[in-house]
Amino acid sequence: MSDTTEATPDTAALQAEVEAWLAAHWHGAPAREESFGRDPRAAWLAEVRDAGWAVPRWDAEWYGRGLDDAGARVVERAFAAAGAPGAGQDRSNLWANTALAHATDAFRRVIVPQLLAGEVGMCLLYSEPGAGSDLAAIRTRADRVEGGWRVTGQKVWTSGAHIADYGMLIARTDWDVPKHRGISFFFLPMQQPGVDVRPLRQITDESHFNEVFITDAFIPEDNLLGPLNGGWGVLQTALAYERSVMGDMARGARSGAKGARGDYALLELAQEAGQIDDPVVRQDVAQVIAWRVLNKLNTQRAKAELQQGTSSSIMSLGKLAMSRILHEEGRVRTSLLGPESLLEGPDHPRAEDANFLSLNAYFTSIGGGTDQIQRNIIGERVLGLPKEPEVDRTVPFRDVRSG
Amino acid sequence: MSDVAELPMAAERVTLSREERDALCDTVRRVFADHATEGDVRRVMDSDTGHDAVLWRALADVGVTGLLVDPAHGGSGLGPIELELVMEEAGAVIAPVPLISSAMAAVLLDGAYAERLAAGDLIAAVIFLDDYDWTGRGSARVVDDMASGVARFVPDAVVADVFVLTGSNGVWVVPRDAVTVTPLPTFDRTRRMGDVTLAGAATRIGTGAETQHAFDIGIVALAGEQAGGARRMLNMSTDYARERHQFGRAIGSFQAVKHMAADLLLEAESATSAARDAARQLAEDSVGKGGAGKDAALALAAFACADANLRCAKDGIQMHGGIAFTWDHPAHLYLRRARSGVQLLGDSSHWRERYIQALEAAQREAAV
Repeated sequence: MSDTTEATPDTAALQAEVEAWLAAHWHGAPAREESFGRDPRAAWLAEVRDAGWAVPRWDAEWYGRGLDDAGARVVERAFAAAGAPGAGQDRSNLWANTALAHATDAFRRVIVPQLLAGEVGMCLLYSEPGAGSDLAAIRTRADRVEGGWRVTGQKVWTSGAHIADYGMLIARTDWDVPKHRGISFFFLPMQQPGVDVRPLRQITDESHFNEVFITDAFIPEDNLLGPLNGGWGVLQTALAYERSVMGDMARGARSGAKGARGDYALLELAQEAGQIDDPVVRQDVAQVIAWRVLNKLNTQRAKAELQQGTSSSIMSLGKLAMSRILHEEGRVRTSLLGPESLLEGPDHPRAEDANFLSLNAYFTSIGGGTDQIQRNIIGERVLGLPKEPEVDRTVPFRDVRSG
Repeated sequence: MSDVAELPMAAERVTLSREERDALCDTVRRVFADHATEGDVRRVMDSDTGHDAVLWRALADVGVTGLLVDPAHGGSGLGPIELELVMEEAGAVIAPVPLISSAMAAVLLDGAYAERLAAGDLIAAVIFLDDYDWTGRGSARVVDDMASGVARFVPDAVVADVFVLTGSNGVWVVPRDAVTVTPLPTFDRTRRMGDVTLAGAATRIGTGAETQHAFDIGIVALAGEQAGGARRMLNMSTDYARERHQFGRAIGSFQAVKHMAADLLLEAESATSAARDAARQLAEDSVGKGGAGKDAALALAAFACADANLRCAKDGIQMHGGIAFTWDHPAHLYLRRARSGVQLLGDSSHWRERYIQALEAAQREAAV
């Protein structure tokens, strides 16, 4: 979609400034080396942060430049044009945004700059074996002790836990109020004896996630985000944030490459498989590509409308749309391959892709809230339909029957 | 692709700001609120012609009939983007007036015809010839400026003052009294059609280079109508799901109903995106900035909007339950309109095939 932002003298000067800065400082991507959770580009990201390009929408006090959206997009485009990472974190950095909005001043002074430079590894400690869709049913407890809290419980579906410095944790701090009102939100230090991380093997035979067993782990006072027992509200902003980027994160092939082939990948597979002249195949391929393109158009329109200041309902639909795309693409890819799809392994990359996609589609349709939960959210928050009655919403959590 | 530089509208394109577009939509919405109530639509639906002359005059008075007509001929000189927005409003109320035919005719007609069209004094029906005959059933042709054969399923044929025949090799005008119109018993009574038997002289007014653009204009107009219809059925159905109570609670609180609504929102949003993108691509194409993307965008809008509108109408009725199975409830009017829209200018399978052809063409372009 064409960019409708008009160049003004201000944005032209800004563009010149950021381009000059990049010309002087950016010398191509640093060599990627194994680093424990910290971003290998940390030195570069720190430079970007200190120059004010990481979060230009934020105030100067917080490494920003107080730019409006149009100005910030000038910065992001200049970085993208140079192939330089690190800009636009005021839109994309879940951890830094959450910390800035909700952390105590003492803690965010320390953590926000580290997060912007990728100097600390992070993970999410939300779901539990007994609290998936019903996240407010968590039973991990944080008990008040001298100087902070002691935490005990079990978390699941945590990616990067083994290399993380902090986990964004929700834990129950009051058992005598209804479930949503007794939860607090913390930054849990992960590198301590009471935190035990074990890998979880997925249906794709990969291990991107962990289970985290927490036994009497300590959280310092300053690491509470938002009010005590006000963690549910903090979580909502963090979750909305996560979902809005999830539609774009979805992987197609096992390699994760969407690459330049982009929308044409399925068309190319049909051609390679010698089936592109089959009218049924042509209809299926056209429909899947159409859904992908429609999802992109929806996202573009949502962003454009947000910039115009009108509220948009489209962002919440992206993840739901992507679920349908991935499951259907898995089906079409599999049918294109026929018996070849019975195989796996490096000698059968097309089968590997089709089979992986067919399984990994659930990453999108279950992860981050199932499609069914997304439909509830869309129905209730976007379309204004009434909530399903919840029998445990007003009951003290201590008295809620657990499954 | 047509040589769009020849089009009369390309020279005098007027562009509107977002605020001006909003104002245009407000104006049109007001006209529809006054003259296209459900009662109006039902009255017109049961009339002989199925045409709302009062609404048509009101639309002419605010400039809608001349939307695409060159300012030199009394029109507004606007383009596909504004047309699409107006059609969203029209689709929301099932306006029984020849908006799509007129939009297509506006880019084909010139001179006095264009002036009368803009003024709302002329209704023009469009007959597509040769490869452009989307019905695949017609035999209309023009040889040495003599028209013959039968054009099938011509929208607005019954009320047309003039017929515009357009194909690969020319554009011709034939007056109403030179043809025989056989009205068809259309399932969608708000979009009447007729078979047109041709036998006589036709006045040549163009080379045929305009035909593709006229067809594209029709696609954009129809897509806008379908996006508007999809949105209206979604809203009607969610409103009802909030109000209707069973088992002591609003039916919209049941996940079985709520999840249907969420899925329809995705359909309605996708239709809006597709229709607006097609309009934008066509607008850029008209000023020579478009390219390969235009064909894909139009094909996408043609089936995505048709399918979305049909799904919203169908599932919307299901969400309502028994009340929407009655004739007196408006939902079936939207389903009828959605079903006629799926056929008009080619069905969804046809357009999915055209879409993949456009993707293949873009793929070849990228390869060289």
